Amino acid sequence: MKGKNFSFNISELDLSVPRIGQMLNFGEGECEGVFSEMIFSALEEAEKLPPARAEYTIFEAVKFSDAEKTIEINDIIFEVNRIVSSQLRGSDSIAVFLCTAGPGISEKSRQAMEAGDLLTGYIYDAVGNEIVDAAFNLLYKDLQKHTEVSGKKLTNRYNPGYCDWKVDEQEKLFRLMPDNYCGIRLNSSALMDPEKSVSGFIGIGRNVRFNSFTCGLCDRTDCIYRNIKDKE
Amino acid sequence: MDEILNKIARCIQSGKIDKVSPYPPDMKGEDGADELTKFALENGIKPDQVLDLALIPAMETVGDRFSRKEIYVPQMLMSAKAMNSAMKHLKPFFQSGETKRKGKFIIGTVAGDLHDIGKNLVSMMIEGGGWEVIDLGVDVSTEKFMKAIGENPQAAVGLSALLTTTMENMKKTVAVIKDSYADTRILIGGAPVTWEYCEKIGADFYSPDPQGAVNYLKQLVA
Repeated sequence: MKGKNFSFNISELDLSVPRIGQMLNFGEGECEGVFSEMIFSALEEAEKLPPARAEYTIFEAVKFSDAEKTIEINDIIFEVNRIVSSQLRGSDSIAVFLCTAGPGISEKSRQAMEAGDLLTGYIYDAVGNEIVDAAFNLLYKDLQKHTEVSGKKLTNRYNPGYCDWKVDEQEKLFRLMPDNYCGIRLNSSALMDPEKSVSGFIGIGRNVRFNSFTCGLCDRTDCIYRNIKDKE
Repeated sequence: MDEILNKIARCIQSGKIDKVSPYPPDMKGEDGADELTKFALENGIKPDQVLDLALIPAMETVGDRFSRKEIYVPQMLMSAKAMNSAMKHLKPFFQSGETKRKGKFIIGTVAGDLHDIGKNLVSMMIEGGGWEVIDLGVDVSTEKFMKAIGENPQAAVGLSALLTTTMENMKKTVAVIKDSYADTRILIGGAPVTWEYCEKIGADFYSPDPQGAVNYLKQLVA
């Protein structure tokens, strides 16, 4: 079982006003004036916060059940369902990962909303989502470098709560990890605290592939990532 | 009178908060919803005329444009800011009873769910529709909803959830509310919620966007 942990200052992450504008649903070049100024200012505030954290652990002993659409790791059976099972099938090992932007950005969003400034709160929320995604991207690149050496490839990431993999399976995922891993805890509804966090699996193997269009696997039509892809 | 009310409505639709607000760029330096509402009230326009003829129709237009995807959340929130800057001048009239709200609306994100953006958007649009909103926040227990309904028995109720797991808590809350307050209208919303689910759990209305909720409440008091 191998693993690695990271700490990323916000300035190290690939965050930009246009990208966050896209997350707020603006088309290319549409996010300007007061909106881009507000995003810029939120990014400046975010830079003052503690770094984002990310960790992964690679589990070598992985069993797939095609009939049950489950994956077994360390005697824990994950009911990942059809889509995730088929995408991870063929993996020799699985990297279980966690990333978090930490509590600061959500706190800023909450404070702004409580003060009645919903727009600023909404922008902080989008910045928080981007911090987590950007931290994950750096973790993924590192894992890619590590696995390429042995001629292996990576799948996309798959998270509880998406592609029919129920969010309460997060509780099982956390059982694989040391307590307080990455500073993240689960609440009684199996939601992560800090809120701006992500957990999931990445398949590793010679016979796996990265799927560049995962929106086709998911039936959520209201998703911002799908909207961005559609606009592109 | 019409001219000033139309100007207030235009400010709200465009998100023009006050004179110093730089947004939208083509209205830079002009009076915003704040100054115009103050001016209207000081010049004999009645607060309920400002509410019924400027604020409510303006927010309805904003909600419809959002439903048609002509504007997005940031523009809608800018309109909300403009509406709030007008509404602050009306608050004393609501408190004195001179201007009446359309009714009361209790809203909260259900137990176990901490997401508040969708709930806040709906709250803001419903307030813009002339309703008094009692926002119970996030992770709201059934008991807390019941207490609020007990204190405001005529109120309609809105339940929000973002996750399939917490959506199940909606079912429990709806059942308990309906058991004690069968006539209370319950609206539900959130990413995983559908009409089918609404019917299954015995709620009264589902809308995929905030304006749908405003329109439903409007026909309740028509």
